[in-house]
Amino acid sequence: MKKLLVIVLLAVLGFYTASTFFDIGFGSPHFVKGIDPVKDIYINQTVKSLNVPNAVTSIVVNFRGFDTLGEVTVLFLAVTVLGSVLYKKRHEVGERSVLFSASSVVTSGAKLIFPAIILLGAYVFIHGHLSPGGGFQGGVIIATGFLLMLLSYESYSVSHKALSIVESLAGITFAGVGLLGLLHGGSFLHNFLPTGVMNSLFSGGIIPIIYIAVGFKVAAELTGVIYTVLNEKGEGNE
Amino acid sequence: MNESLFSLLNYGVYGTAVILMLIGLYGALIKKSLLKIVIGLSVVDSGLNLLIVALGYYKGGTAPIFSPAYLAHPQLMVDPVPQALVLTAIVIGFGVTAVALALVIRLYRHHGTLNIDQIKNLKW
Amino acid sequence: MVGSPVLFIAIPLLAAFLIPLLGMIWKESVRIVPGLVLAYLLVLSVSLLQHVLAFGPIIEIIAGWKPPIGINLVFSPFSGFLVTLMLFLGLLVWAYSYRFKRNVEYEPALKYFLMLMMLITGSVGMTLTGDIFNMFVFIEITSISAYGLTSYYKERNSAEASFKYILLGSLASTFLLLAIMIIYSQLGTLNMADIATKMHLMKPGYKVASLIFFITALGIEAEIFPLNGWAPDAYAEAPGPVGAAFAGIVVKAAVYAVIRVIYTLFDLPGAYQFLIVIGIITMVIAETAAIRQEKLKRMLAYSSIGQMGLVLIAFGFGTKEGIYAALFIMFNHAIIKSLLFFSGSYLAYNSTEKNIADVSGMAKHLPLTSLLFALGAFAIIGLPPFAGFWSKLAVLTAAADSSLWLIIALVLAVSVVELVYYLRVVNRVYFFKKEEDMEPQKPTVNAMIVMLILGAIILLVGFYPDSVTGLLHKASSDLMDKSQYIQHVLSAR
Repeated sequence: MKKLLVIVLLAVLGFYTASTFFDIGFGSPHFVKGIDPVKDIYINQTVKSLNVPNAVTSIVVNFRGFDTLGEVTVLFLAVTVLGSVLYKKRHEVGERSVLFSASSVVTSGAKLIFPAIILLGAYVFIHGHLSPGGGFQGGVIIATGFLLMLLSYESYSVSHKALSIVESLAGITFAGVGLLGLLHGGSFLHNFLPTGVMNSLFSGGIIPIIYIAVGFKVAAELTGVIYTVLNEKGEGNE
Repeated sequence: MNESLFSLLNYGVYGTAVILMLIGLYGALIKKSLLKIVIGLSVVDSGLNLLIVALGYYKGGTAPIFSPAYLAHPQLMVDPVPQALVLTAIVIGFGVTAVALALVIRLYRHHGTLNIDQIKNLKW
Repeated sequence: MVGSPVLFIAIPLLAAFLIPLLGMIWKESVRIVPGLVLAYLLVLSVSLLQHVLAFGPIIEIIAGWKPPIGINLVFSPFSGFLVTLMLFLGLLVWAYSYRFKRNVEYEPALKYFLMLMMLITGSVGMTLTGDIFNMFVFIEITSISAYGLTSYYKERNSAEASFKYILLGSLASTFLLLAIMIIYSQLGTLNMADIATKMHLMKPGYKVASLIFFITALGIEAEIFPLNGWAPDAYAEAPGPVGAAFAGIVVKAAVYAVIRVIYTLFDLPGAYQFLIVIGIITMVIAETAAIRQEKLKRMLAYSSIGQMGLVLIAFGFGTKEGIYAALFIMFNHAIIKSLLFFSGSYLAYNSTEKNIADVSGMAKHLPLTSLLFALGAFAIIGLPPFAGFWSKLAVLTAAADSSLWLIIALVLAVSVVELVYYLRVVNRVYFFKKEEDMEPQKPTVNAMIVMLILGAIILLVGFYPDSVTGLLHKASSDLMDKSQYIQHVLSAR
């Protein structure tokens, strides 16, 4: 009975949503006639005043940088909440729950590939304003490196303290750069540094600084999430 | 690609996205296992993200990254705004999923089961 | 100018990132710093509010891009009033829990105060922002902290309550994004004022679709029936002060979002009647459910939902008097319901079940707390001469002005129901015998001071309603004047 109700509800919802979006249309500009959408301004200003080739980065970090600050906070909060939900008193902490011995191929391969993963991640977030990618993507890549090490070596451990220091420093950098913008340019997150030459590494003003901070923060937070969950002893009833 | 084939894509892309969302919602509302409910929620997120990115696509558009050849033709770019928004949505979806999974772990620790029928107080 | 509205977001975030570092050096700082931050922000918001009342709204541009390109914050009399209220309550909740959590270890204390601060910051951000996608981000910040705070106590069934909340909360964010994307696909902008000017260009079909998704999404956060399944459990399982924070801060922000969307974004006349209808349904169902509750906090939660129904009805009148009444209820409800949660959690401190039966005879052991609880109960029912009376009177006058006689009858009938279930508790506290011989927990000094402040405000507003009405009038005319809002935002530099 409940199933039937849900199916009917979902059918109505699906039909309504789908027909709305079919009507909007795919593959062509769908804005109402007679307005100039903000995306044109974004694209033009990206080259003109920010000197950055990647329009998505310029939106994420500069035009809508405030959203990104909130987004980083959501991640920070998720780690905090995770720690609070799974908190145990010190004597209750057990060994890792996911314990399976990896073969020597995996362990030596992991050791070999780990630095390369970290390097790739760093490359992605340092070049976030020039090429596809950015702080979030680079941070996730670095976190996968730590995941690989945690899965291959039973004894591998990450210092919670170090993670939380990196996380805090990166967050302070983001918010601090924003506040510096308020002091220098009159508005929060104002791009107060010179924008440099397009397509060079040191260009775009505060954009690369913020994206590098985001990269560190995301890497630390995701590693923290993985580590907290891996250390969870899943033994049923206590 | 010819026109009639492309107009079918309209239904293909949006349809896939909406169907993904419906599958996820079905899983979240009907399934008895807590883990499947969480999986359902993240399937909904994926469908939604697909829908948003598809909204920004223009036929024949390029990635919204300027290269010297494209500097003169910004109108050839796809809409970058949905891509930026979807980045935020993905990160937020990740955060919510992580918290939900942590709760599932704690519920399992407490009750020794993942079946919502056996966990009282979880009924509406 | 004294300061900038962006500090309401930037300072708490900076502090949130800083606190784990400070905690490594000096453990006590995790308790003190959030309080300092909230106190500073309260001072800032009071001084900004005075500035705004004299010189008109402040539009804060972020990243140097003026609207509609960049994101902007709007500190108007309306949003400023709500922000001040939220920060005031937030400070009280902090002071109340400062010693309440004294015996807690370092890690959980750190997490509790971080989440509490972010809960308040998210709500403040929701109220201040002038951009719908930014609102979505702040809603998520608020709800993730709320999930964490709900599941804070391990001994209770809090994980279940939190899981329910998360299930509905993520549905809410899905619908919210759908609504935002429908609007973006048509108007190509995310700024609220810009959307409001272009709304008439949108096809009615899209308008209705996005409005439905908006109401569904925000209704989950604002506890509108039938989307409020999470609320009673979350209130009941969360720590006592957090219940007060939910009722006083989070729900206020969510209602603000609903109202901003309906009043400013959309120009559909039918939306007002819709508000009245869902308000009536929410109120009637919640109040009748409240009378059947066995647990004290669940009863308070249902009563809170009922009050929100009343707020929606008052907003649904669409007149200036209606908005004034709605704001007055929001103010009173925030103050009174916090007092009820604060004192109620001490009355039922020793019982694990927190049943209403467990508060029997508490008046002998905790006379002052019981007195304050009774004061709150009388005030929220709307008995003169307490604060709640004036707000109920304002609703009735506003309804009479719009000649909605049926609503007057309903509100009066519901007040009788409220009278019954609140008096049931007060009666138990004063005239029943205590069942077990357990030494009740005495309130800490901080908690007592906080409760006394709230009680004093209830009496003050009760005897001198003029102390707040001037501010409320200004705030309500600010919400009514949509064109001025648009003009202020779009001409910001």
